[in-house]
Amino acid sequence: MKMKKFAALILGITMTAVLAGCGVQGAAPAAPAAPAEEPAEETAEETSEPAGGVEITVTTTFAGEDTNAQNYKDSVAAWEAKTGNKVSDTSATSDETFKTRVITDFEVGSEPDVLFFFNGADANDFVNAGKVVSIDDIRAEFPEYASNMNDDLIAASPADGVKYAVPVNGYWEAMFVNTKVLDEAGVAMPGADYTWDQFIADCDKIKAAGYTPIAAALGNIPHYWWEFCIFNQQTPENHLDIPQSATDATGAQWVAGLNDIKDLYEKGFFPDNTLSATDDETFAMFTDDKAAFLLDGSWKVGGIVGACQSDPDDPSTLDADKVAHFDVTYFPSKGNRKTTDLVGGLSMGYYITTKAWEDPDRKAAAVSFVEHMTSDEVVPLFAQHTASALKNAPKVDESKFNPLQVKAMDMMSGVTSLTGAVQDLFNGDCRVSTFDGMPDIVEGNVDAADAVQEGIDVYKETIE
Amino acid sequence: MSNIYKNRKYIILFLLPAFIFLTVYLYYPFFLNIFSSFRSIRTLGTYGKKWNEPWNENYVKLITDPVVRTSLVNTLYMMIATILGQVGIALVLALLVDNISKGTQFFRTVYFFPIVISATALGLLFNLIFLYDKGMLNQFLEFMGKRDLTDWKNESHALATMMLPVVWQYVGFYFVILETGLNNISEELYESAAIDGATRLQRVMYISIPMLRNVICTCLTLGVTGALKVFDLPWTMFPKGMPLKQTFLTGTYMYYQTMEAKNVDYGSTLAILIVVLGVILSRVTRRIFKESEDL
Repeated sequence: MKMKKFAALILGITMTAVLAGCGVQGAAPAAPAAPAEEPAEETAEETSEPAGGVEITVTTTFAGEDTNAQNYKDSVAAWEAKTGNKVSDTSATSDETFKTRVITDFEVGSEPDVLFFFNGADANDFVNAGKVVSIDDIRAEFPEYASNMNDDLIAASPADGVKYAVPVNGYWEAMFVNTKVLDEAGVAMPGADYTWDQFIADCDKIKAAGYTPIAAALGNIPHYWWEFCIFNQQTPENHLDIPQSATDATGAQWVAGLNDIKDLYEKGFFPDNTLSATDDETFAMFTDDKAAFLLDGSWKVGGIVGACQSDPDDPSTLDADKVAHFDVTYFPSKGNRKTTDLVGGLSMGYYITTKAWEDPDRKAAAVSFVEHMTSDEVVPLFAQHTASALKNAPKVDESKFNPLQVKAMDMMSGVTSLTGAVQDLFNGDCRVSTFDGMPDIVEGNVDAADAVQEGIDVYKETIE
Repeated sequence: MSNIYKNRKYIILFLLPAFIFLTVYLYYPFFLNIFSSFRSIRTLGTYGKKWNEPWNENYVKLITDPVVRTSLVNTLYMMIATILGQVGIALVLALLVDNISKGTQFFRTVYFFPIVISATALGLLFNLIFLYDKGMLNQFLEFMGKRDLTDWKNESHALATMMLPVVWQYVGFYFVILETGLNNISEELYESAAIDGATRLQRVMYISIPMLRNVICTCLTLGVTGALKVFDLPWTMFPKGMPLKQTFLTGTYMYYQTMEAKNVDYGSTLAILIVVLGVILSRVTRRIFKESEDL
């Protein structure tokens, strides 16, 4: 009997130890942290070159069809080789799901060490929660941090007016054109004076020729049409205004913009499956010469060129004839917006999270990583035909550009203004009723004014 | 009998770890979820800044929200698809395989294989099959002479397109359970029935199926309650209830409200609905598919 009692006791202790072991296992890596804190006190001798062997987690939008996906991989590999550190990369294509994932990661405490993300209202939640470190705080320990950047071009967070994100490359949004489809439909390449009425007439011709006029997945990525159709009701001066109600002047402009998208949908200018397709599917329609127009950002240049290569990772396999079918132009104007007024700017940058900052090893590695990725050598690789915030931006060497990049440079030379995207100030939750709700708006199930008002109500709630 | 089994101290000692685990990871979150459903929460990991006004706002919305109705109806369809598609097809396959003398192991492996593939991978695979332009199915139909492309993900086809892979994936799971049940039926019963002149169909109808009753009941209970939890494959193929919020299931709608729309308190309310539905359905299925003690 005693033996059985003893056995039961041993078993009980073993189970408790196993359970406790689970906890100990999770806490184990924290143990060596104590001695490592010593260097943190030696602020004056702080260096951003870590000893090596440190793994940091990094999340960016340099993935998928992004122009800089390969540049990012190459730059990360170069930093790893230089420092002996490792990057655990969790980058993904930028869309609403990505933004939600990042914000949720912060909420549940699983944020990365370094994050390349939007510097607008989408970052408000984690900025307000103190989960990222300001550039000034970093410079207090690492004086050279982002010292090669023009501080005036680094955007402050709309949450508290403090600068957190070190920008790399700027962006623009414009309308890519498949000229092969235009030629076969008998439509001329749009220029700097392209109007909305001309656009509608051209779409009619393209549709009559058996092609899809606009490659867009309204059920997946309505962002660009949302932005420009609203911009079309406004001017660069008032585009960044947030309405207080769907019935005030700005609110009415937003509603009119969404109704323009509904009008295009009812005319049958979007793909037949625009409500059920993904962005990848409609993008493929565009590159496969089945659709004429694609409204997207500068990051898509690489995706289009990649689709013209037999090996997307090898520029030498570029099909010159195919890439010649693609061009880029301004979005057609309506009202007071000039055709050459575009959406663009420096909307993203590298954040260092508080989580990494509080770990002495990862702090140095994170700072070193951001310094590498925002260095005078790396930034031009990413910026290419777009702007950057470098103090000493090198002269652009067009001979290294692909044909579509050259066309993009030509288009950008005629731009009369570059305005930020208002959706960057109208953060994620507020956009749900008009982004996820776009299919219902264009189908007429939900009135555009109701959807706008719902978004404004959420906006007011978030700023309370 | 030894005293160790009579002494309640040891029983408590052994029950305690599981009890603590369930309390921390099941009961505590459940009751916290009820609390959260009355708060206004837009950030995960917080309790929100204020109470809802009125306090029952989310429960009123639950009744009036048309997407909740859509997701409940879709979940009901999913249960029917589970009963008829998963368990029904699995039963037919198990009976067929049970009546062949060679290749049983081969068919077991073939039918069970989809289970070992992750639902997300299957979702991506079926996305390619049902792709509008250049999808396998549309290419095949084009080859057969069809001129227009079919959008298998539009409002008319979306539900069937979503349920087909779910049914396909789990047929093998129920097939293996039913096949094992068939193997446990004594050969003597079949032999004596054969001597009495029973045909193969009669042996299936009057021996196999009645003797499988308890196994079928278990499969149906698993299937109906499992249908409430289906998430990954539908979400991969039809994120955000695409198109027009027509493909939401209760689980995917809860996830959407919590993680995508950041309406965390409403997501909590939907979670409570799922728990209540789960409890009711498990009791109903236990009553309907009550196992017979005679077998």
